[in-house]
Amino acid sequence: MNWRSLFSPFKRLDPFFVLATLGLIGVGLLFIYSASYRAEEGMLTAMTRKQMGWALAGLAMMFGVARYDYRALMGHAWLLYVGGVVLLLLVLIAGVKVYGAYRWLNVFGIRVQPSEFAKLGALIAMAAYLAHPSRRLEDPQTMAVVLGLCGLPFLLIMQQPDLGTAMTLLPMAFMLLFVAGVPLRSLLVLAAIGLALLPLGWWIIDDYQRERLLVFLDPGRDPLGAGWNKIQSEIAVGSGGLRGKGFLMGTQNILGFLPRTVAPTDFIFSVIAEESGFLGCLAVLCLYLVLFASGVRAAWRARDLFGRLLAVGMVSLVFSHVFVNVAMTIGMMPITGLPLPLISYGGSFMVTTLIGFGIIQSVYVHRITR
Amino acid sequence: MNASGDFRPGEVFSLRLCAFLGLIVVALAFLAVSLWNIQVARGARYDDDLARQSIRRVRLPGIRGMITDRNQQVLADNRASYDVALYLEEVRQPGPWTRTIDHVEAIIADLSRILLLEPEVTREDIQNHRLRRLPLPLTLWKDVSESTIARLVEQGSSFPGVDLTVQAVRAYPQHQLACHALGYVGRMDPPKEDEPYHYYLPEMEGKAGVERQFDPVLRGEAGGRLLRVDVSGYRRNDLGSRPPARGRDVRLALDLDIQAAAARALGEVPGAVVVLDPNNGDVLALVSSPGYDLNTFIPSISVDAWKALLEDEQTPLLNRAIAGGYPPGSTFKPITALAAFNQGRVPLDRVYSCNGSIQVGNAVFRCGHRSGHGTVGLEKALEGSCNVYFYDLGMDIGIDPIAHMAYAMGLGAKTGIALDGEVAGLVPDRAWKLRTLNDGWRDGDTCNVSIGQGALVVTPLQMACITAVIANGGTLYRPRIALGTYDAENQHFQAIPPEVLNRVTIDPPVLRAIREGMRLVVMSPTGTGRNAQVPGVSMAGKTGTAEFGPREARRKHAWMIAYVPFEAPRYAIAMLVDEGLSGGTTVGPRLQALVAALFAPGEGAG
Repeated sequence: MNWRSLFSPFKRLDPFFVLATLGLIGVGLLFIYSASYRAEEGMLTAMTRKQMGWALAGLAMMFGVARYDYRALMGHAWLLYVGGVVLLLLVLIAGVKVYGAYRWLNVFGIRVQPSEFAKLGALIAMAAYLAHPSRRLEDPQTMAVVLGLCGLPFLLIMQQPDLGTAMTLLPMAFMLLFVAGVPLRSLLVLAAIGLALLPLGWWIIDDYQRERLLVFLDPGRDPLGAGWNKIQSEIAVGSGGLRGKGFLMGTQNILGFLPRTVAPTDFIFSVIAEESGFLGCLAVLCLYLVLFASGVRAAWRARDLFGRLLAVGMVSLVFSHVFVNVAMTIGMMPITGLPLPLISYGGSFMVTTLIGFGIIQSVYVHRITR
Repeated sequence: MNASGDFRPGEVFSLRLCAFLGLIVVALAFLAVSLWNIQVARGARYDDDLARQSIRRVRLPGIRGMITDRNQQVLADNRASYDVALYLEEVRQPGPWTRTIDHVEAIIADLSRILLLEPEVTREDIQNHRLRRLPLPLTLWKDVSESTIARLVEQGSSFPGVDLTVQAVRAYPQHQLACHALGYVGRMDPPKEDEPYHYYLPEMEGKAGVERQFDPVLRGEAGGRLLRVDVSGYRRNDLGSRPPARGRDVRLALDLDIQAAAARALGEVPGAVVVLDPNNGDVLALVSSPGYDLNTFIPSISVDAWKALLEDEQTPLLNRAIAGGYPPGSTFKPITALAAFNQGRVPLDRVYSCNGSIQVGNAVFRCGHRSGHGTVGLEKALEGSCNVYFYDLGMDIGIDPIAHMAYAMGLGAKTGIALDGEVAGLVPDRAWKLRTLNDGWRDGDTCNVSIGQGALVVTPLQMACITAVIANGGTLYRPRIALGTYDAENQHFQAIPPEVLNRVTIDPPVLRAIREGMRLVVMSPTGTGRNAQVPGVSMAGKTGTAEFGPREARRKHAWMIAYVPFEAPRYAIAMLVDEGLSGGTTVGPRLQALVAALFAPGEGAG
């Protein structure tokens, strides 16, 4: 076996998708560095080093997964799903409490977030169920099963509580049903029921989540408490202007108005917006557009429905994170603890996102060539 | 679908997949438009918010200009005051505020041992500083000595965040000299401004004297400093500053040597001396005694020292030269004479007979010379200060021309010298008496005014002005305290021109006679002012002894006015001792000392 054959599967990878992924990871590393920069730490901050490690691990898994035929997943879908649910149960029993929520599990000293893996499991399970050759998509029972598959991890994640992450499951499930070909009428009924139930959410969510919602509706409410991050993030974004203040020059971040705890994670986009301005933000959005478009292209050229649904589900999952995170950063949505895919600091999310991307690329690699 | 699940060719196309991509594109476009709105369309508003929460403006006081005498000898200047200060952002401790405050207290205690200074800053001060002025350095010790500076430089390197800061503070190298004219400075209240600063550094403003009158000129332009603070309020860095501009210097008309000679001549007794240049109204000396050391007001006067000044029976804060109202006594007689003889109202050769007193109505008015002066004319009456002559002269012409002449010479009105606290004095006349005492004017009243008694009130400055008018032949100048202001930066001197208040037309023969009478006062061996004689100097003058106080315990203000040299006057002098025996005996020798100093060889003033 020569080195050419080792790399031959990569020849079929989508270069746009890979470059956009690498570009976004690069942007993330730069601005995690900026957000965690301390003069005394020198060239690389501890956060940047850790994130580089996670990114390399994630990329290795992405390329690894891309080499294997995704169709093998179909047979193990239920196993992955149950595994994810068990992890979610474990987190409720033995989780580590951080900022008032049980979201993390300690695995050999590394904190992992099982909800990220569970989402992947749910995606594979729903896609496998919908793509089964015997499935009748007009049948309401089909829709009910998919909603059930989505609902179990949704409720478990809500228990942590992690409303943001749980919510991303819903558009993903909806898009899977949509692209799979469930009749539009059924989907409209589903959407109407969902919207009608939305007000009930008020009684389900926690006090702090209600507070975030109220702050979103009335920014003047509690400006030094719950409203602080929202106000400071908007100031950071707004004061960035067209060209930004320059790398490492974002005063909102330097002066601590944008809290150090959230600047490299949930509010990394504020740092980007302040330091690189509207043009920088536009560039990041364009990279995401390339990523999503090539993800959709993978779905388009998929060999079968299972592959198409896997790609669509993954794109929809990542897209909802991007949309909610950016909208929250600029004050157009309530604050939810959703990270920005490939950019925010965080290991589990980076690795699971890249595993998901590996699946998309596996779909693309094993496409029908005409 | 076939058995393997692969799409059949017809199944590949998916409108729904297109819709999915379309949704993504629209959503991303929505985000891009929102970002444009916030960052570009409304960016300025967020810039303002950003500045409001992280930028602090500090006002830097202007540097006060100097005050010099006419020969540019320094009377008020600035010196550097070194303070030991602590930059809190460099010693901040994580966690609650109390930890930082504990740490600051520990630093102060350590420094206190090394610098051999008792701590002056309390825990309360530190807390107040944190709440009100956190981004500014905390001053630990003010105006420390050179040895303290040396100790800090040697051993202070182990104290991060501790440094010396320099402040310009007012200094008065002449201490007490001309203190009333110079005035003093005090802490200024923060000025009201359109764009208020967040922090004000201590700034001085003139509270009295020239420091107050010329405050807008002396003060200069305030500068500013922009600080960036972090979320806790600590200073992060400086964004820039505009240095304060130095104020203009004020060059006074005062002559330091003459001022010093006048103060020395007057001595320790309460009183006042004014020396004017009769040719332009320049105030060459303005002495009020007792005075105070201006440096006790720097950096701020202690409560006790201020209380002592206020409660001192000798009223050191009172500027007697311009704010002290006294009856002029016989120094007023030249005015009575002018009123009588000018424009031929009374013939210049008029004589009156003095036998020691006259009776007017029921009252007896006495002359200073108990046995009487005999028959006297104007010159002899001035020389011997004969009261009876002026009683008769006054009654002959009545109060109206006397009051009129007094007004014309500037009495009863402020001279308008550029100093605060001046009083107008009082010239009594018919209208005044009717108004205040609801009584008619009598001959007795005229007698009193004719010899400078009664309700007449003047200031030493006014008497110096009158002396100058007689010396220069009729021009009443506004006393000029400052020659002008000087911009050290561009070396531009802006002069304050002399100002004529009034021109009194005096018949030359009358002027000659009055001057001659006044010359005899000093130069004649029998003149009342002969004690003021200085060998080789010809001068003219008039003594005055004004009675005041209750009848059973009469006290006397001792006056003398003089101008010198007689032929071409350069100095017009009024000297007053609050309480003395008589003008001739109490003030005469003092005036002699002053004039001797003015004409001493090598003094420059001669």
